[in-house]
Amino acid sequence: MNTTTYDTPQSPQASRVGALVAAADAGGPAAGLLDEDAKREIRRACLAAVCVPGYQVPFGSREMPVARGWGSGGLQVTLGVIGTDDTVKVIDQGDDAGVNATNLRRMIAQTTGCGESADTREATVVQTRHRVPEEALDDRHVLVYQVPVPEPLRGVQKSVAECARMHAEGDYSAMWVSLYEDIVRNGMITASTGYPVLVGGRYVMATSPIPRWDVPRLHQAEHLNLFGAGREKRIYAVPPHTEVRPLTFDDVPFEVEHEPGGRCKFCGSDDVYLVNAGTEGAFACSDTEWCARVQAGDADTAAHRERAPLALLPDPTARAGRRGAPALRAAAADDAPEPVRRPAAGGPEWALRVDGIGKVHGAGGAAAVPGTGPEHGTAISPSTGAVVAAWDVSFDVAPGEALGLIGESGSGKSTVLRCVIGDEPATAGRVHLASVDGGASEVLALPPAVRRRLRIDSMAVVYQDPAAGLDLRVSAGGNIAERLTAAGWRGYHAIRRRAGELLDRVEVPLSRMDDPVHTFSGGMRQRVQIAKALATEPPVLLLDEPTTGLDASVAAGVLDLLRSLLAERDVAAVVVSHDFSVIEALTDRTLVMQTGRVVERGLTDQLFHDPHHPYTQRLVAAARR
Amino acid sequence: MGYSGARGGLEAILAAEDLVRRKRDHAPAPWASTEQITARFRLAVDRVMGEAGLYDEPTAAAAFRQAEGDTLEASHLLRAQRSTLPRLAVSEPVDPDEMTVLRRIVPAFREPDGPQLLGRTSDYTGRLLERPEGPPQPPPETAAPGAAAGPAERTEAQRRPGRFLDLLRKNDLAVEGRTADDPEPYDITRKPARPPAERSAVLAAMARAESGALVALWYRSVLGPDGDVHEITLGELRHGRLPLRVRHPHTGNPVAVGEFRVTEAEAVEDLDGADEDRTRFDVGYGLCFGHNERKAIAMANLDIANRRFGRSGPLEQLLLLTIDGLDSGGFLEHLKLPHYVTFRSMVERKQAMRAAAEAGEDPPARVAEPAGKDCR
Repeated sequence: MNTTTYDTPQSPQASRVGALVAAADAGGPAAGLLDEDAKREIRRACLAAVCVPGYQVPFGSREMPVARGWGSGGLQVTLGVIGTDDTVKVIDQGDDAGVNATNLRRMIAQTTGCGESADTREATVVQTRHRVPEEALDDRHVLVYQVPVPEPLRGVQKSVAECARMHAEGDYSAMWVSLYEDIVRNGMITASTGYPVLVGGRYVMATSPIPRWDVPRLHQAEHLNLFGAGREKRIYAVPPHTEVRPLTFDDVPFEVEHEPGGRCKFCGSDDVYLVNAGTEGAFACSDTEWCARVQAGDADTAAHRERAPLALLPDPTARAGRRGAPALRAAAADDAPEPVRRPAAGGPEWALRVDGIGKVHGAGGAAAVPGTGPEHGTAISPSTGAVVAAWDVSFDVAPGEALGLIGESGSGKSTVLRCVIGDEPATAGRVHLASVDGGASEVLALPPAVRRRLRIDSMAVVYQDPAAGLDLRVSAGGNIAERLTAAGWRGYHAIRRRAGELLDRVEVPLSRMDDPVHTFSGGMRQRVQIAKALATEPPVLLLDEPTTGLDASVAAGVLDLLRSLLAERDVAAVVVSHDFSVIEALTDRTLVMQTGRVVERGLTDQLFHDPHHPYTQRLVAAARR
Repeated sequence: MGYSGARGGLEAILAAEDLVRRKRDHAPAPWASTEQITARFRLAVDRVMGEAGLYDEPTAAAAFRQAEGDTLEASHLLRAQRSTLPRLAVSEPVDPDEMTVLRRIVPAFREPDGPQLLGRTSDYTGRLLERPEGPPQPPPETAAPGAAAGPAERTEAQRRPGRFLDLLRKNDLAVEGRTADDPEPYDITRKPARPPAERSAVLAAMARAESGALVALWYRSVLGPDGDVHEITLGELRHGRLPLRVRHPHTGNPVAVGEFRVTEAEAVEDLDGADEDRTRFDVGYGLCFGHNERKAIAMANLDIANRRFGRSGPLEQLLLLTIDGLDSGGFLEHLKLPHYVTFRSMVERKQAMRAAAEAGEDPPARVAEPAGKDCR
């Protein structure tokens, strides 16, 4: 229990309680809208937010006299940081006199005793909804934003637990795919307000929503930005002198709002954020203070023009130009953001080494193993009833080599693959990748976040079911962009070139590059999945029954493709199949698995022509039929 | 300039406030006293206390009156009032077995441990509208046929009957959900709860939920796409009074400082999952302020559904983040605020797209659905 106990009536704490009780009993109008403990808690959250720019700090958001969504978060932050020697300015849509702004300013001033002003130059705390003032802000200013939706990833991920993981791991490729798809669909990025930014090179953050016009004002600002989301109970910050970059591709300019020829009908400004005034197509400053001061000649309009994001006005000629197939050429070396990982010289000869992998479904672990295997004719443990899906499977694969895992359905070959890639936890065994610490680290022991990262460019898998490796709602190019952006690619044209080249290589017509994958046939989907797996040229490629779900003629085409892809690459491949003709077409060496164990191993050619184990002979005979 | 610019906004606000006050406080009708509201709108007051998470009948009644009968608005007034007050103490854990029972039914047993006590309920009264002319006559001296002449004598055992879950346990029909470590309950008013969350956080979120939202989510779980509520046998339902104790600031001893009414429900779930004990039941728990049976029953069903399926589907996130009336209502109401800055930005993008199209770029023949859908 966090019961508060009090010592003696004379103790300072007890007298504080007495005073509080007396104040409560007096029953007069509340002195403040928040009790002091809450303000302290808010200040602590603000400090944490300043320490980790762009990170959403949870706080025990209290109910305010205004509804959730009416600035309850901004109000709490303001009440937490403001003092009697401060001067508050409140704007809604840039307007000091809007009803919401007026109401909040009245509440803040009445309950804190601070000064109030509509002049940004006099204000020390500016609470805002949807705008940054046009006037310059400096180190005297705290800008407090009211935030309805603090989570920038919600558009691409509805699970809040998954959003938290993505932030923790810096896994923002879904955001990049949504930008890529936006350009493909619309020829430009159509995100309007609340534009996502990358803060300090680390956290993707939602911008309040302020218009894009105001977003550049966050970058290397002189003032402190505090964001309060009362309903979602989050506070975050952009401290002064912090890098804030709008998310966009290197070759797709971020665009602010612009109305060609638009001017404020009151002050004539054309370098401000304009909103519609009246229904006849006229415009006016959204920042009413600035507008009035420009009219009164009390504004430094030259300095303002310097601040205005005029370099970011929309320029249709600079846009990506989404349509049509990308001009194919060998992807330039500088397209790739970082060299693809390769085993260091002097490292191990293998790219992937698997040592004693085992998987037991059910009770017992290793104790369930005795009494199972081919010599017992069962995978079911006589002692515990557990299924020993695979046990003591070891192999290594060298760069440029393809290894086959063959066996009947249920022999454990796919289980081995899933344990290696990390789709299910292994009961026993070790996995090493030459691309990870030169093979020193044991991959299965790495933290889940690190293992997930390995799938970006160290180890790729092609599943039997394309839906397992692709987002069917996303375009073929977007699926490949997912892998490329995860690996750090930030050039839209480079991504399209690379995706186009891969799709061309797997013989997907480039005219279908921008179509969602769910409109593709099974064989086409499988080709897209193969292209995605190869996108970052991973040194290890795992293929799990890559042709099993396809018609015979389509499967033959995919098989041909895989054979030439493996031949032209320096990749270490593991091919799992129940079909010896697939194994024979693709692999150099083969392990034959039966009831969870390896029963025979050797060169694929020799196994195919001269199988020793009766089980292998059966598999070969089946393939020859 | 109208409301959006609202020049002289303060005057407009004061005028709106004045209009509310006039029409509400000076309506041509007798004043509704706090006592009238607690006595005549008992269930509304209970609902407001539950959704606000603050138990005080006169305060809730005042809020209900000020809110002109809008229970959500009344809860908002209560919660904002609480934000101004310091937290002076934390109560001792409440033991629901101490409840003085006012109503108690056990649908799952014919003859449970203790009485089936209907108490004050209109469950079996025909829903026929009565439109009395003026106040009712004083009640007759003699009771209605079948009703006891006066309060029946109750024994202590009858007042504090054993609970349904204990019956199940006695018959070895309940899985053991109690853990040896008894963690501090999660305080959702101080730490925002997000998935994955402790059970106490989800229970607290449900206890404060907007009643209609909780019932709607319960019904969604029965009839909706998720199907998280399977077995809807109600074990036990109670309404009664519990003592509230805090430790005395000087002596450190627990002292009873008041009483509050709660509704408590226990609901049965038939375990059938692969990793569950399929020979036993589990019991879900619901408890909320005041007399609010729909809420307590929905909570008990959803408690167990969440423990079984919350992590594997959307239920936990729905329970933690979507059933608070102030959250959902406030977000909805904020749509009434001006949005012309953001709307202008949206219009600008539409015009940019149109300009690009007019400049000669044909729209693509086939367009995928957007990757990601924002709501802000």
